[in-house]
Amino acid sequence: MIADFQERYAKRHELAKRWKKEGKRIFGYFCGYAPEELIDAAGIIPVRILGSLDKVTLADSHLQSFICAFGRSCLDQGLKGTYNYLDGMVTSKTCDIMRNMPGIWSRNIEIPFVGYIGAPAKRTKAARECLIEEFKVLRSKLEEFIGKSIDDDSINQSIETYNESRKLLKELYEIRGKDNSPLSGSDFYHVVRAGFVTPKKEYNKMLSSLKSELISSKSSKDGKVRFLVSGSTFEDVNILKMIEEVGGSIVADDLCIGSRYFWDLVEPASDPIRSLADRYQMRIACPCKHPSEERMERILEEVKKHRVEGVISIVQKYCDTHLFEYPYMKDVLQKNDIPFLYLETEDRLGEEGQFKTRVQAFIEMLR
Amino acid sequence: MSDKKPEKKKRLKTAEKLGKLMADYYTESAMVKAQKKPVAWLSSVAPVEVCYTMDVFPIYPENYGTMCAARKLSAEFCAAAEAKGFSTDLCSYALNNLGSIYLNKGPFMGQGLPEPDLLIATEHACLSMAKWWEELSRHFNVPLYIVDAALPVGEDLSPHHINYFAEQLRELMGFVEEHTGNKFDMDKFKEVLGYSDEASKLFLEIGALRKTVPSPISPIEIFTNMFPIVTLAGKKEAVEFYNELYDEISELAKRKEAAVPNEKYRLLWDLFPIWYNLNLFKYIEEKGGVVVADVYATTFGGRVDISRPFEGLAERYVGNPLLSYGVQQKTELYKQMIKEYHVDGVVFHSNRSCRMASMGQYDVKQGIYEDIGIPGAIFESDFVDPRSYSDEQVKDTLDSFFEILESRG
Repeated sequence: MIADFQERYAKRHELAKRWKKEGKRIFGYFCGYAPEELIDAAGIIPVRILGSLDKVTLADSHLQSFICAFGRSCLDQGLKGTYNYLDGMVTSKTCDIMRNMPGIWSRNIEIPFVGYIGAPAKRTKAARECLIEEFKVLRSKLEEFIGKSIDDDSINQSIETYNESRKLLKELYEIRGKDNSPLSGSDFYHVVRAGFVTPKKEYNKMLSSLKSELISSKSSKDGKVRFLVSGSTFEDVNILKMIEEVGGSIVADDLCIGSRYFWDLVEPASDPIRSLADRYQMRIACPCKHPSEERMERILEEVKKHRVEGVISIVQKYCDTHLFEYPYMKDVLQKNDIPFLYLETEDRLGEEGQFKTRVQAFIEMLR
Repeated sequence: MSDKKPEKKKRLKTAEKLGKLMADYYTESAMVKAQKKPVAWLSSVAPVEVCYTMDVFPIYPENYGTMCAARKLSAEFCAAAEAKGFSTDLCSYALNNLGSIYLNKGPFMGQGLPEPDLLIATEHACLSMAKWWEELSRHFNVPLYIVDAALPVGEDLSPHHINYFAEQLRELMGFVEEHTGNKFDMDKFKEVLGYSDEASKLFLEIGALRKTVPSPISPIEIFTNMFPIVTLAGKKEAVEFYNELYDEISELAKRKEAAVPNEKYRLLWDLFPIWYNLNLFKYIEEKGGVVVADVYATTFGGRVDISRPFEGLAERYVGNPLLSYGVQQKTELYKQMIKEYHVDGVVFHSNRSCRMASMGQYDVKQGIYEDIGIPGAIFESDFVDPRSYSDEQVKDTLDSFFEILESRG
């Protein structure tokens, strides 16, 4: 079953090209702050633009060496034509890299529609009102693009579909956190990632089947050290696999490609735009947002709830916001007597052995 | 890298006055704690007018970074922040400031900056500021207010962008009232905004005088003369100073008196100076190059519509193109400036500390060349942390660039 999810992601570009042939429109988005429901309600399939483990060649003449591997790889894929099937992209203001990306992308890669949401960083009422306005602007730009209006009912339907996905992912998240769970952290990463590139209704069916399968299956996690993994995006799932191979078990997360993406549901209300703005503003914060305390509090809660024995932070080199919060996170965890290991990556596991030795030593210390 | 201080003998008559303004400000900053006046630490492009309205003394850790760099203290300070777990890849303004706090050292009488009672930062120039200020708030355990801006990139500002910022400025006044006990007064606010607007107007006009060939003011002079508009916007002294500076520079412009002899190639500079090596401008000048335009200095000048005080002030801070322009708009802006300032070439300082401003430089350079045939050069360094600076590499890049300019005649 996990292989199905893996395959979905591996064949994502092939599948997208097929949809395209069927006459469907496809939009790309960079991160979990893009309101996919609005794109979906416009009858456009949203897919998340992610990097790859291929060698970066073309992006080097556009981006300095001090831009993160994720940004470089995404742009490189775009320049190589991998995302030529996109009819548009929607970016939400998160980090400084994401802020600059649409301009560079659209200058070099033909893309008919570029939507940018200047999302506020704060969690206040005024910020919410501003985000509502930004979503309204996106809605009308989308309407103009497709040549018809997007009514509230369509948005509500999309909200329902997306909420269903989130509920199922949360259930799977809980299954993963159980003792002797049949679902590993690396497998769950495959599951989450497949959702970025699969139309959500179809994806929900896949999630439901997986759930039934898991409920009746047995453990593979016995006797391992229980970890919460936190951090930015990374492409190489082998980082998680390695942790599992040397005796760790990932039972909870605070990952961009993980719970931060799906944790919060949209509360349906009379005005769907308002509901969406509520959700995207108040979702578990990425370190790009302000303030940071709530994210730390949630990590502590998850640690308690899932009897986590150690936290492993996997952070993309040059990711300013995660890097700025590292000393803070270390401090919070130390004060709560939670062992902590920090790994800085450039999207991949990298030199064989270096991370492994550190994770092994960490596990030895915890046993 | 040469250790000699640039601009030993000041060319401008107003330099003495500028020196006095700076000295007064730093003398006051040294006494402000004893006077029990509240101190706020502000990020750049944070609304200093709020401080002057509310009788709070503003301190700029970023300004301080430039000074620590100029006085060769920044390497030690950055290392001290790294020892606390801050990555060496983070902004060196931040690392320098945090390190100086941990070491309790600084360029003035060996002391650090007066500790803040309040912290105020914006996040639209870059996100690192918000994160850095959050860390300051945890370290000093003092209240923090982030003025957030939901800016569009590559699109025009809408009323809701202005309103969101303005709404926060109102809230910020309340925040300062709550934590200092000082009361907000609309008349005082308007007076402060009037001075701020007037100083901005003059500062922008002084910048525009660089359109004159030869340029009547040098880049080091422009960057040095930013101090009042950054730190004293809203004070009468800033207006008086810029009035004098304007008179002096416009007189030089009228007489066609060159700030730098042998002005052969007029250059546009993007974006930050290297604060520990302002002599790089001297090197450029030896080659016949003069920086006559930049968007760095002008970022700090922005007009205020006083009839709508909060919205007007919001526009001053979010209306700057540099902070909301995508690659294409920036290319267009630079093309326009190249025309107006009679620019022969563009020098891009790819600043490792500032991903926000550096990202896209390759595309802007390419775009300008493709559209109007004006060449550019990009060199990499860090604006405050000298530890990995390679003078040779930077000069090599510039040498090749001047060869290109020469070959174009």
